Order: sequence, then C-alpha cells, then structure tokens
Amino acid sequence: MLEIIDIATPRAYPPRVSAFTRRFWSSLAEGRLETTRCTACQRFSFPPKQLCPHCWHREVAWAPLSGNGRLYAATAIHAAPLAFRAVAPYRVGIVDLDEGIRLACALLENLPLDSPVRLVVLRHPDGPLFAARSVG
Amino acid sequence: MTRTVCIIGAAALPVGKWQKPADAPEQVLEHELLAGLVLDAVADAGVERGDIGAMAFSQCRPYTLQKYFATFMAHYLRLPCTGTVAEVLGNGMTAGLAFEQAANDILLGRARVALALGVNFESATSAAEHMMSSMRATGDVDFQVPFGITPIAWYAMDAARYIHEHASSRAELASVAVKNRAHAALNPIAQFRKPITLEDVLAQPMIVEPLGLFEVPPRGDGAVVLVLAEEDVARGLGRPYVRVRSRGFFHEGAHQISEVPNDMIRLISAETAGRTAYEAAGVGPADMDFAELYAPCTIVEVLASEALGLLPRGQGARAAAAGETSLGGRIPICTSGGLQSRGHPAYVTPFYSLFECAEQLRGRAGARQVPNARLGVTSAELGNYNAALVHVLEAVR
Ligand SMILES: [Zn+2]
Repeated sequence: MLEIIDIATPRAYPPRVSAFTRRFWSSLAEGRLETTRCTACQRFSFPPKQLCPHCWHREVAWAPLSGNGRLYAATAIHAAPLAFRAVAPYRVGIVDLDEGIRLACALLENLPLDSPVRLVVLRHPDGPLFAARSVG
Repeated sequence: MTRTVCIIGAAALPVGKWQKPADAPEQVLEHELLAGLVLDAVADAGVERGDIGAMAFSQCRPYTLQKYFATFMAHYLRLPCTGTVAEVLGNGMTAGLAFEQAANDILLGRARVALALGVNFESATSAAEHMMSSMRATGDVDFQVPFGITPIAWYAMDAARYIHEHASSRAELASVAVKNRAHAALNPIAQFRKPITLEDVLAQPMIVEPLGLFEVPPRGDGAVVLVLAEEDVARGLGRPYVRVRSRGFFHEGAHQISEVPNDMIRLISAETAGRTAYEAAGVGPADMDFAELYAPCTIVEVLASEALGLLPRGQGARAAAAGETSLGGRIPICTSGGLQSRGHPAYVTPFYSLFECAEQLRGRAGARQVPNARLGVTSAELGNYNAALVHVLEAVR
C-alpha cells in the first residue's frame, strides 16, 4: 500500500478515465499502484495498456507495483501553463521503479538524482494523482 | 533513373513577433507575408513560376485563422501543380517532414521544381496559454500532463541528468547560449542579436531548473520558403546550389520517455539517423564543416552534437564552453544563433535550419560565413529527441 497524502485543492489538470483505465485510478485512490502485465512475456507496461507493447500479445492482466524505485531525473517548473500557475514553481521527476518501469510524476522534494524514492498517492477532492518522495 | 534533390533558392522572414493581438484593428496576415517570400525565393533560385510542380507546407499553428492553408495559397499564387499540394505536421519535426515531402515529389518524378514552405504565427497567444496546448503534444494527456510537465521541462530533466552523470555544470551548459547569441549578432534574421555574457545568462529568471530564460527558446513568428529542384535543373541555372547528399530518420518507438529504462541522454534517434545519413553520403562527422541543429535548449544542442558524433560523449558542454563550437572553432554549431537566439517558430524551425545551411553552403552568410563551407549536417526532432531527421548537405559552386 502506498502512503496517501490529502491535498485540499482539486487537480490542476485531471486525467480522463476510460472503462479500461478506471481500474488504475480506482486502485490508486485506495493506495494500490497497479499496471498491466503481459500474460505471455510477463513484462510490465506503463501507463497500463490493453495489449502488450513488448510482444504484441493481446492478453494482459492487472498486477501490483511496489512503488519503490530511484529518481532518474528531476526539474522544478517555474514558467507554468495557465492551469498550473497557482502551484508554480512545482517539481516533477522521472522515476525508475524496481519492477523495471520508467514513469514521470510529481516530485514532493528536492532530491539528488539516483536517490531511492517511493511513490505516494495525492488524494485531491476530485480524485487521485501519484507522486514520488524520499524513502524513510 | 536516379534523381538528386538540390536547394536552389531560399527566402526567410526575420524571426520575431509579427502576429498582432486578435483585437488589434490592423492584423499582419500569414498568407500575405508568405506570398511575398515565395516571389523572393523563386527569384533567388532563378527559375520560372511555371517550373514549379509541387508545394509542401508546414502546417500552420491553430492560431492561424485561414484553414486549408495550402490550397488557399495555391489560389492566392494561382499556381497549378502536377505534384502534391499538402500541409505536413509532426511536432517540432514539421518543417523537416515538409522538406522531405517536397523532395520526394522530385525524387518520384512528379515535379522538377518544388517549394517547401510555411509560416508559424503564435506570438499573440501567451506562453502560459500556449503551454496548455503544447504540453499535450509532449506528453501523455492522462498520465503525464496532469503533473504539468511542459515541453521544455523534459529537456530540463535531460540537463539535470547530464550534469549529474558527466560532472558538468549549469555554467557549462549556459555557455552554449552565449555562443549562440554571438552567432545571432551576425545574423540579420535572428530574433535576438545583442551580445550577452555568461553572467547575463546565469542572472536570468529560472524557467525550468536548471535552465533560465536565455537557455530556453523565445516565442516568435516566422516564415520560410525553400526552392528545391532536381539536379539537372540546378546545374542548368549556373548559380551555386546545395545538394542534398543524404538523409537519415529514426523514431525510437517512445513518446518523451521510454517505459523501459534506457539512457535518456544518449539520443539514440539522432545517433541512428545520423549514422544512416553519414553512411549514405560516404562521410563521417569529422568531414562536416558546420552543423545547424534543432536544439530548443542549450542542453539539447549538447546532446544532439554528441549523438551526431560532432563532440565526444559527455564532453559536449565542456567543448562548447571551450569555444570548439563557436565560429572559428573546430566545428561551428548553429551559426544562425540557434533556437535560443535566431528564434524558434516551432513549425518552421527546421526550415530556418535548412535556410542557414543554404546560406553557408552558397557562401552568402556574410560575417558569420564558415570559410570554404563544403559539407554541413542538420537535424530536426520531435518530443525529447524521440525521433530525428538528419540531412547531410553539400555545396556545389
Ligand atoms: Zn508481452
């Protein structure tokens, strides 16, 4: 289970939810990070996909992710798009999860690259997002 | 039969803020500016209007009200074509792909002379509003855009990684901006021409850490017309021209980042496209007299230069700081002033790169002329260099 952090404001740019991705966002809201995994080659993909991009097998299954990884790259964005002006400057990063997945997300602290990080859930009033923070 | 494409004429609008606010009583109109440039470029080429058989446009920004712009221009210029009249789109690579579309009509024998042209007007829309759209082009709308990752934020993360891995520094990267401004000072069509120092660059407000205002591209408008022709036509004109020696393209099959961890700052697309282009031309990076690269931020110029074999891996920023990529240096890079100072009207930026190559290779670059420039390399890209289009160009005088 990921740590859940309550945020008072709604998401600046809410993601769309489809019949397929609803599973990801619903699980995330409850502190579970999941993605799809190929039933043939067993590789994960992220974001979740309805087919396996690695081997083009059509059958995938939902699988849990630890949320543990390391920070590969990071920045702080000062010149922000309109929807993000109120929260600028804000940090984002690229995280390599232990399962061998690279993703981008919000970053809660200024951390040196290659630091171990863990993902957390940001529980906004209108739905969840995910972010990375330091371990411990 | 084997055909060879050449650039025989060119015209470009100085990059700047041409577009008027929507409520201004008098507007500057895209098609009026572009039509004038068509006449300039065709006169520069020395061909007749009736020789032109195709027009490949870079698509206009959504802020351009006139839609179906290509066919509207065919009417405005009253120019019947036997080849293709079309608009091309592909993020930052847009004008590079339009250039290829025009070249392909020549290679396929559909036209002997073709125009590659376009106009990018966007400056009347604020950066904050424009980024609401552009971040949807450089990220997954549902899994990346919700974090507010702007197009140049990806490059900023490249910069952070580069500094971390290669013990480089913001100052080394910032030296690229100083160098590009010095080049732009010699370029009459550059957007920013006043020389700057490293201290000036480092004193600018932060945009995306570790990149400040002068290390990222300004917003601006621009328009370019290139005249392409089959080499028989070019030869018959009796003027210097540019031969397209080769091209290389590679898309890495990823959008911004690969979900499978890789070495993000080794630009595999530029490396692969570059190798393809060099091999097809039978040359190597050491044979290049200059390079005009698509590099929105200082870090991108460093990474692309390394990927194209122009500078050693991990040493690009240091080499730029040491003056190796300046005019007069070992391999002058972005003699136009690059995207930071020449300017970056994105959908026509690769046209501006090709324009600079055409100026250099025809010996018309004035105070920024690379002496005896014979071979040049240019690149276009999209995303975080997820795809690259590379051309090797040669002077024929
Ligand atoms: Zn698979």
